[in-house]
Amino acid sequence: MRSPSTRRTVGGEPISSEVTDRPITLSQVAQRLEDSGSGAVVLFVGRVRPEVQAGRRLTGLDYEADRRMALARLSDLERQARRRFGTRRIHVVHRIGRLRVGTASVIIGVAAAHRSMAFEAARFLIEELKREVPIWKTDRWARGPTGRRRRTRRRPRGARSPG
Amino acid sequence: MTRTVQLTLFATAREAVGASRLERAVPSTGVRLDTLLESIAEEHPRLRPILRNARVARNGEYVVGKRLRVRPGDEIAIHPPYSGG
Repeated sequence: MRSPSTRRTVGGEPISSEVTDRPITLSQVAQRLEDSGSGAVVLFVGRVRPEVQAGRRLTGLDYEADRRMALARLSDLERQARRRFGTRRIHVVHRIGRLRVGTASVIIGVAAAHRSMAFEAARFLIEELKREVPIWKTDRWARGPTGRRRRTRRRPRGARSPG
Repeated sequence: MTRTVQLTLFATAREAVGASRLERAVPSTGVRLDTLLESIAEEHPRLRPILRNARVARNGEYVVGKRLRVRPGDEIAIHPPYSGG
């Protein structure tokens, strides 16, 4: 369950996406998009946003995934994005485990012939990932007046949340 | 021989039950998924409202309609609404 990284094939097709409990970096994603002869590369980074509620400070988020299904859903999304936007390469990495505020939780990289395709595909991928990929975050708060420290989000954090 | 169904619970479902895995013995002819989930909700009332909004998967595939039968050896996953990103 806690292997550092999971990559394999779904239905014989290689999946580029990863769900990992190790730190994720822009360069690791950018590297996978090289040599594709693309005119545009878009990289999106979602990070754990600082938050204060009722005087308590968010210290981080715990992410968990149904790995097998998350990878299958991500590869579906990659296929859809390729079909809809005609992108050349896509690489998505999502980190799981305990992440502190400010840490990157997801990075999406898209390479395409033209910038509009790359921007649109990246936007599509992050929005669909939030809705359709079995990954969850649980808040961790510094101990506050209520003494309650954990709350699993029932929904994504609204429209203003990038990642 | 396996005579049980394994359930994996994520996020709020795990918190409601207090465990990430449950195992239930089922007859070799199987049991309806809604019957199985109802019996678990009886034991863990906090799970009931979560089940209403959860997606359920059997052996890695989403279940459409909970009248489906689950059989020994099946793996059921309970997915509350996703919040990745």
